Amino acid sequence: MKIKNITLIVLLGGLSLTSCKKEGCTDEAATNYSEKAKKDDGSCVYEHNHDETGTLNIEVDYKWGMAGADFNMETTLEHPMTGDELEFSTFKYYISNFKLKNENGEWWSHPESYFLVDLSEGLDNPLKIEGVPVGNYTEMTYMLGVDSTRNVSGAQDGALSVSHGMFWSWSNGYIMLKAEGTSPDSGSGSFAFHLGGFQGEYNIVTEKNVLFSSEDLVIEEDKTSAVHLIANPARLWHGSPSVSETAMIHMPGEAAQTMAVNFYENIAFDRVENN
Amino acid sequence: MSCKKEAVEVSLIKQPGHFPKPHYNFANFELNQAGIDLGKALFYDPILSFDNSISCASCHHQSAGFSDPGKSFSLGVDDSLSDRNSIGLVNLIWSPTFFWDGGVNHLELTGFAPINNVKEMKEDMNHIVDELYQDNDYRALFLRAFNEDTITAQRVLWSLAAYMATLISSESYYDRVYKGEASFNVEQDKGYKLFQRDCVSCHTEPLTSNYNFENNGLDEEFEDLGRAQITLNASDRGKFKVPTLRNITLTAPYMHDGRFNTLNEVIDHYSDGIKMSATLSNKLPEGFHYTPSEKKALIKFLETLVDPFFVQNPDFN
Ligand code: HEC
Ligand code: HEC
Repeated sequence: MKIKNITLIVLLGGLSLTSCKKEGCTDEAATNYSEKAKKDDGSCVYEHNHDETGTLNIEVDYKWGMAGADFNMETTLEHPMTGDELEFSTFKYYISNFKLKNENGEWWSHPESYFLVDLSEGLDNPLKIEGVPVGNYTEMTYMLGVDSTRNVSGAQDGALSVSHGMFWSWSNGYIMLKAEGTSPDSGSGSFAFHLGGFQGEYNIVTEKNVLFSSEDLVIEEDKTSAVHLIANPARLWHGSPSVSETAMIHMPGEAAQTMAVNFYENIAFDRVENN
Repeated sequence: MSCKKEAVEVSLIKQPGHFPKPHYNFANFELNQAGIDLGKALFYDPILSFDNSISCASCHHQSAGFSDPGKSFSLGVDDSLSDRNSIGLVNLIWSPTFFWDGGVNHLELTGFAPINNVKEMKEDMNHIVDELYQDNDYRALFLRAFNEDTITAQRVLWSLAAYMATLISSESYYDRVYKGEASFNVEQDKGYKLFQRDCVSCHTEPLTSNYNFENNGLDEEFEDLGRAQITLNASDRGKFKVPTLRNITLTAPYMHDGRFNTLNEVIDHYSDGIKMSATLSNKLPEGFHYTPSEKKALIKFLETLVDPFFVQNPDFN
C-alpha cells in the first residue's frame, strides 16, 4: 500500500514538469505543493494514508405494515389502513450523501454519494460504500432524496443520469421516489406516484441521523461491515388517502410531500453488523 | 493542460465586450471545438427523435434566429403539436432559466426536455446512447470531444449545450449603436427613446431581457398558467419568461402561444390591448396609447435588433 503511494507521487511530479507553470498544487500541506503554482489544478497529493480502507454495506430490510409482514414486488399486498390491494411493479428511490463520524469526532464524507435503489432488481442488493477509511464510527448521516445542489447543476452521470427516468424534464428536479403498480381499488386499475421537490415549502429531501449507540461501526482493511436499516413502503399511505381517491401524483406539492416524508421519516436504524 | 483551457474558452466563446458576465460558466466539462462540433451534429440529426424524423433544427431554424417561423405551435413526432411557441435560441448563456415558464433550470438540461416530450421528439435517452454508439462516426466524434468513446446521456447533453452556447448574437445594428460605432436615424432614434421609456424595465438592454417572469397583460383569464405551473404559486399565474427581442422580425409569430402574427399586432397590444388581471405587471399601465407615428418608430427600432451575421454564420450549420 505504501509503495503505491510513492509511485503515485513520482508520477505526478514527472507530469508537473511538462505541464503549465501557473497551475499546480497550491496547498502547502500537500507533498507536491508548488510555490510557483498560482491556481490549484486538483493535483495535490497528501501524506496521510487513506489507503487503508474497507467497505460499508447499507442493507435495507423491507417490511409491510405494522404487523411486520414482508414487502414484496409483484405480489398483492393489502394496506392495513386504507384497505387497498396493491401490487407494485416499480419501486425506485434515491438515497444519498452518506457521512460517518469516527470516535475522534471527525467526519468522513463518501464522495459522489448517490444511490438509486430499484426494488424490481431485488430486495437484498446492499448499497456498497467503498473506500471507507479504517476506523471506529459512532454516527452516520445520510439523505433520502437528492440534495438541492444536484437538482440545479446540469446534466449528471451515474445514478443521477437523466436516463433512469427519475428526472422531470419539463420542471427540472429529481423524481426522488417512484412507486407504480396495479390496484383493483383504483379507478384506472393502476397507480403511479412520482414524488419529488427540492426547494421551498414542498421540499421532501429528508436528512437522517443514526447514532450507533450500543455498538460502534468498525471498518477494517479490505473487509466489509454493514449497517441495517428498516423501511416500510406501506408508510406512503400513512397520511395519504386510498388509491380510490388519489392514484397519481406527478409533481412536487403538498400531496407528494405528505406521502414521501411519511415513508422517509419512518426509515429506521436496525443494527450494525461488523465484518 | 489546464492553462490551455482558459485560452480555449476565450477563443471558442467570444464574450462581447458590451454584454454582462454570462450566467453559464462551463464549470462541468472542458469545452473544446470537438465538443461544439459534436453538439452541432446532434442538433441537426433526427436520430434524437423516436422515429428519426425530427431534429432540434426542425423547430429551431437558423435563418429565423433559431425559432420556428410562421408556426404558432411546432410539429413534433406523430403529427403532434408542441404546447407552446418555439423560442429563438440566442444568447442562452446569459439566461438563468429556460422555456417560457422557466421549468428548465440549466442549459445542459434544455436538450433533454424536447427529447423526453411525447409531443416533440418522444425518445428515450438510453436508446439514443445505444444508437450513437453503433455509429462509427459518432464514436469518433465522442472520442475527439471527451478523449474516450464512451457515450453517456450526460455527454450528449453537454455537447448540445456546448453548441448552443456558441449561438451568440451581438452584431446587430443596435449593438453597433450601443457601442458608439454607429448612430440611429431620426425614426429609429424616436423608437429607441420610446423603448427605453416603456420597455427596458423588462426587455433590459443590451440583452433585451431581464430573464424574469412577468405578466404583460395578454389575458384576463389564463389558459396556460405559465410560471405558476412550475412554482404552484397563484401569484405566478399568467407570468412568462421575458423573451429576448433579438432577431425579432424573423421570429414571428409572437408570444408564448404565437397569438400575434406581426410586430404591428404586438405594438397594438402594448398600446391599447393590455388586459387587467391579478398578476399584471405594475410596470405596465393600462396601455401606452401610442400615436401611429410612434408605433412605426418603435417597429423601426425593433428592426435594428436583427443580426444578419448571426443568421448567416456558417459556423452554426
Ligand atoms: C417539436 C419542436 C421542437 C423540437 C424538435 C425541439 N424544440 Fe426546442 N423548443 C420548442 C418549443 C415549442 C420551445 C418552447 C417550449 C416551452 O417553453 O414550453 C422550445 C424551447 C427550447 C429552448 C429554450 C430557449 C429559451 O430561451 O428558454 C431550448 C434551449 C431548446 N428549445 C433547445 C432544443 C434542443 C437542443 C432540441 C433538440 C434536442 C430542441 N430544442 C428540439 C420546440 C422544439
Ligand atoms: C412587464 C414587463 C414587460 C414590458 C414592460 C414589456 N414587455 Fe414585451 N414581453 C414581456 C413578456 C413577459 C413577454 C412574453 C409574454 C408571453 O408570451 O406570454 C413579452 C413579449 C414581447 C414580444 C414578443 C417576443 C416573442 O419572441 O414572442 C415583443 C415583440 C415585445 N414583448 C415587445 C415589447 C415592447 C416593444 C415593449 C415596450 C412597448 C415591451 N415589450 C414591454 C414583458 C414585457
